[in-house]
This record gives sequence, structure tokens and C-alpha cells, in this order.
Amino acid sequence: MPDLHVSLPAKLTEVRNLSTAVEEFGDANQLPLPTVFVINLALDELITNAVTHGRFEVPDPTIDIHLKADRDIVTLTMEDNGSPFDPTQRSAADVDTTSSLEDRAVGGLGLHLVRTFAHDMSYQFVDGRNRLTVHHHFKSESA
Amino acid sequence: MNIEVAEEREEGALVLLPVGRLDSANARAFESIVMDHIGNDERKLIFDFGRLSFISSSGMRVLLIAAKKLGANEGTIALCNMQDHIEEVFRVSGFDQIIPIRDSRQAALEVS
Repeated sequence: MPDLHVSLPAKLTEVRNLSTAVEEFGDANQLPLPTVFVINLALDELITNAVTHGRFEVPDPTIDIHLKADRDIVTLTMEDNGSPFDPTQRSAADVDTTSSLEDRAVGGLGLHLVRTFAHDMSYQFVDGRNRLTVHHHFKSESA
Repeated sequence: MNIEVAEEREEGALVLLPVGRLDSANARAFESIVMDHIGNDERKLIFDFGRLSFISSSGMRVLLIAAKKLGANEGTIALCNMQDHIEEVFRVSGFDQIIPIRDSRQAALEVS
């Protein structure tokens, strides 16, 4: 059950290389394809969120991703050296999924998607770094 | 980062087929392609997702903006041929309530 550990510069274009690594992690751990999809979705949303909100006022903006599959749970841990931000404090009420086309807000959807597909999310600010942990449960294909 | 978008014309509609991933890395390029078409007076856009493997909210944002612009100008938008996992993302976002999603391209062409 190999883990995946990647340290990348905080840039949107990094999402693409990471997705290839996540697919390899999925293959190595025999994860179902929908699980690989939601992990890649969560990573795209979380990295986009971190990068586009200008939280990095450090010379070396860095995001560390760790993925671990254990029985039927994938644990995604994302750490970064940006300013403190707790995405779990954003409530479901912050996203608009119901108003008409004319009134529908553009944006704010990313964290809603992460939360919807995750089993749980937790946040800590540790040693000057943001650490977000997200669990995804899945049904093993071999079971 | 660029995105490959195949284009086909059918029954007065412009059919756009994004290929591969539509994510935060290439959503801007996709937005520019779609907005150029709307700017050039395309009034009926079909997005055929038969060759799309991944989408995130960055890509969905472009579709929402396109739907708003077309809706405000008596235009039409419809999506079709989505893989199940992509359709679920549209459903939990509530996009299926504001943008027509059809199983086939033919059904998408019939949206008026």
C-alpha cells in the first residue's frame, strides 16, 4: 500500500502533474475510479482555493500533499505555509446551489464539492502551517 | 495551459467537445474559447462531454457564465454525454436545475 507524498510550488498548473501521480496512487492501491476522481476533485479545489486567495506571503509558497490508503479509507492531508485559513469554518450556507440562473452566484462551489464527497474534514494550524485532513471512504473492488 | 476543444456544427447549433481534463489549470483557456464564440453571436451552444474525463468547479464556473450570457440574450445552452461521476458533480452543485443536461446529443439539440 504505497503512500503518495508530493511537495509542490503553490501554482495552479501543478494540479495537472499531481493528478497523474494520484492516478498512479489509485492504481497501486486498487482504488475504485470514482474514488480517484473525488480525490483529484478535492485536490483541484483545495489547491485552487489556497492559491487564488493570495494567502502566500512567503518567499517559497509550498503545498505538501500526502495520500494514504488504509483498508477502505483514503486519508488526504494537505499542508501549506500560507497564512492561516480554516476551510472547515465555511458552512454549507455559504454556497448557492438553489437560486435561478439569473441569480446564481459564480464561485464558492469548490469547498462545497470537497465537503459533499468527503466523509469528514478537519483542520489544524500546526508549527506555523495549515494542515487539512480529509477522509474518503470507499468500497474495495476486491471485496 | 491549453485545452483541446473539438468543434462541430449541427442543426444550427455549435457543438463543443472539450477533450480530457477541464480543471483549474486550463479553465481560463476554455473560458476564452467559449466567450469568443458567444461574442461572435453563437446563440445555441451544445457542450458534448463524451471526451471529458474530469471537471472541477473552475470549469463549471465557465459553463455557468456561458449559461447566464446566453440566457440573457435569448440563447440556448445544453450539456450532453456526461460520464456518471461528472453528472453527479453537476447534480450536487445544483447545476442540473439551471442548465439542461441530456443523455444524447440529439436530445441536447432538441432543447429550445
